Amino acid sequence: MTENISLEVPATLSALSTVRMVLGGLGARLDFSLEDLDDLFLATDRLLEAALDTEHLDSLRVGVVVDGTTLRITAGAFGSDALREQVAVTPGGCIDLCILLRRLVDDVVVQEQDGSFSVLMVKHRSESPA
Amino acid sequence: MSGRDDRRVNDPLDLESLPGQARHVPDDDEENESPEATPEGPSADPEGRGKDDSEKLDQYLLRRYHLYGDRKAREQLITMYLPLVRSLARRYASRGEHFDDLVQVGAIGLIKAIDRFDLSRGVELTTYATPNIVGEIKRYFRDKGWSVRVPRGLQELNIRLNKVIDELVPKLQRSPTINELAEAANATPEEVLEALETSQAYNSVSLQASPNGESGEEDAGLIDYLGGEEEAYDTMEDRTTLAPGFAKLDKRERYILHLRFFEGLTQSQIAERVGISQMHVSRLIRRSLEKLREEIGDLDNPLPPRSSDDER
Repeated sequence: MTENISLEVPATLSALSTVRMVLGGLGARLDFSLEDLDDLFLATDRLLEAALDTEHLDSLRVGVVVDGTTLRITAGAFGSDALREQVAVTPGGCIDLCILLRRLVDDVVVQEQDGSFSVLMVKHRSESPA
Repeated sequence: MSGRDDRRVNDPLDLESLPGQARHVPDDDEENESPEATPEGPSADPEGRGKDDSEKLDQYLLRRYHLYGDRKAREQLITMYLPLVRSLARRYASRGEHFDDLVQVGAIGLIKAIDRFDLSRGVELTTYATPNIVGEIKRYFRDKGWSVRVPRGLQELNIRLNKVIDELVPKLQRSPTINELAEAANATPEEVLEALETSQAYNSVSLQASPNGESGEEDAGLIDYLGGEEEAYDTMEDRTTLAPGFAKLDKRERYILHLRFFEGLTQSQIAERVGISQMHVSRLIRRSLEKLREEIGDLDNPLPPRSSDDER
């Protein structure tokens, strides 16, 4: 059974702590390892910090789907080309944030929707604890 | 020094007949509306006094302040350069802090720049003040975001967790889960998460700090435990536009980022290779990325060249 959680936090750096704590709680429930969680925190921080730098936002929207041993985190909607270029794999390749995110989580998808876009990050539990 | 300037310097109370004395300094709203307004400092006034007059006035006021202790001259300089502070603070206004607070912080940087200005260097005040103002604003973000007061209970749990993690990783041969940490540290999973949050999100770590998190002088610094230079990571500048930012990191910071993001090693594998704990690898990665982010932010907003002595 999947579980959906929606967060809307102020568009400030300090609010990222709230996002991390929610992700941490969900990851702990799925028995994510400390290292998996740390990677997930870092990916989420980098993405949302880049959004704060490039977008004019009043709030940040983050959705989390808990599905088996997987967390699917969606952030957005965003609108700036600057952020899109940082996150997406472009004809020029995968650079900067794009590389970082793909090393930290298992999948990154830029989802286009009516001129804006959101970023989906998928993180699986890497291995079952004994 | 010109004779005219000499005469004025010898009369510290004579502020009335200076070049550009009555010039117009744009306020924030005017600055927004004026296409001529630049972040480079007070603009030339509408009465025809240009950059040269502005510089003469700056130099004159700086001499009055530094040679004769004229506080009025200092105050006038601060007032004249507040538009520059506002302009620079605006770059950081989207980061969630009140714009007025950022202006106040930037003003501290301006005052420090005025107080430390070295007349003998022949540098313009704008050139010297800009990195000081930006540095003060960045420091504000860093201090506010990266060192909050952590309750003693959480601090103690944090110390326990560091020990527990170091014990559990070799025992389990993998990174422990939150529940395993909670059990071993005699805490709840929520407490563990909270402690990790205060630790990982807000504690910066120096490469000079000892690996056990203490700062005893007899302990070797983290920097001593890191591997030597590796040729391969020099090539990563060719592979990413992070290159200008990477140039600002030291070799060892680049090494760890290279191992993590280009070699694809996990934190545990890096920890094993360089002989420090996974938690420290985690903190070093965060710290290095934060530095990169700041550098890239600066590249997006090029600043005037720094004078040699504005690093603090």
